[in-house]
Amino acid sequence: MDPMIAIAASGLRARMESLDLLANNIANVSTGGYKADREFYSLYLGSEAQEGDASNTMPVIERQWTDLSQGLVHATGNPLDLALAGSGFFTVQGPNGPLYTRNGNFHLASDGRLTAPDGYPAQTVSGTALTLSASQPVEILGDGTVRQGGATLGQIALADFTDPAALVKQGSNYFVADPAASTAVPAGTSVQQGQLEDSNAGAAEGAVRLVAVMRQFEMMQKAVLMGDEMNKQAIEQVAKV
Amino acid sequence: MIRALYSAASGMSAQETNVENIANNLANASTVGYKSRRAQFEDLMYQSVVQPGASSGQQTVMPTGLQLGLGTRTASNELIFSQGAFSETDNPFDIVIQGNGFFQVQQASGTLAYTRAGQFHLDKSGNVCTLDGDPLVPQITIPPDGQHVTIATDGTVSYTLPNQTATQQAGQIQLASFQNPAGLNSIGQNLFTPTDASGEPTVGSPGGAEGMGSLMQGYVEQSNVSIVNEFINLIQAQRGYEANSKVVTAADQMYQTVNQLTR
Repeated sequence: MDPMIAIAASGLRARMESLDLLANNIANVSTGGYKADREFYSLYLGSEAQEGDASNTMPVIERQWTDLSQGLVHATGNPLDLALAGSGFFTVQGPNGPLYTRNGNFHLASDGRLTAPDGYPAQTVSGTALTLSASQPVEILGDGTVRQGGATLGQIALADFTDPAALVKQGSNYFVADPAASTAVPAGTSVQQGQLEDSNAGAAEGAVRLVAVMRQFEMMQKAVLMGDEMNKQAIEQVAKV
Repeated sequence: MIRALYSAASGMSAQETNVENIANNLANASTVGYKSRRAQFEDLMYQSVVQPGASSGQQTVMPTGLQLGLGTRTASNELIFSQGAFSETDNPFDIVIQGNGFFQVQQASGTLAYTRAGQFHLDKSGNVCTLDGDPLVPQITIPPDGQHVTIATDGTVSYTLPNQTATQQAGQIQLASFQNPAGLNSIGQNLFTPTDASGEPTVGSPGGAEGMGSLMQGYVEQSNVSIVNEFINLIQAQRGYEANSKVVTAADQMYQTVNQLTR
């Protein structure tokens, strides 16, 4: 196959996947604690390229990376809304081991346990369940220590990952990761009570990226048409006697 | 391509729900005892295009995969039980709860419902009831010639009879509280009913050790809707909707471009 058309077609395909990632980011602009996905291109080398001709390379999205930068934090006034300032994750007990999330929208279950919106209980440092009473004010300190009525009830477990690639998105604002790979959160990270973290994918930024993806897509299309035109010329003109 | 279209559609429907929720909050900005709701969203499932750990060569494996997300969904719109502002009415049967408790009222069907809207009246037999005529539980009856009705902070209702100096007691208002009030079911008319998520009510006296909160007579609790916040949410929801609709247009145009590849 003509390398020029093949390369441009590979670019077309990659931009389609870019649009898929972008569409998901824009769909989640209101998802609390959502972290945007970004594409990571790598060059696929054709066999000729490996012998020295570097022009014969095809861009493909090899993987995405998750932008773990801080989202905006807004005050809600609900004492069980927690936001993390700095890197790190809240740990909750999922059905198949711990899940990690930046969405600190905690609730009290009917038995008084502190749970995530899906009902998974918040994990504590000591491992014991955190049971609160609804009738007394709750105080949650910067390190995740939960206090009520002057007594310390426990400490919400926080975890950080030095290698962000260890985190895999699971949907419903959760990340799955090997608990053995987790490290203590850095000293700068603090739990902010009465606040929630917004999505770090912005609608305006998404719209700008959208324009870029569309224009690149059009350029690739032009390249395909041009390659086609050149082939046509070569066949019709060169072969003319 | 189709993924992008469906992700954008899920984003549009989520923002629609968001606007519906904001509209209901704004519509109830003057409803006494109304508690605002806040929509919460979650990301949907992820489709793995390249599995993490797949071989990228004979000796190497992909450190991470390519996962394409499939959009968003509305997870819940939870009740926010922050205290609303108090406004003075001087009506003796307007009562506010300074705390977490709820008034208990009996609906026409006989089941109990719970409310924060303390705008009470007397029905024809002198029972204290809500605007819709549901009586307060436990029942409190004021005789027709009862005057100067006073409701103490602990819920004790007393009145005086003509030509008598001693006050008569009509009973004590009891309050209920829930372990998880955000899990209550709204049934309209400012009423809530318990669910498995909220837990069973604990009944106690106002101002007691259970933390129900004390009562104050002659005031009503305004809605806790913050109009400024709702407008900010509305702007964000509208822009989010717009951005998602742009994705639909972009995906459509890219599809068109693909269709023009062959002439």
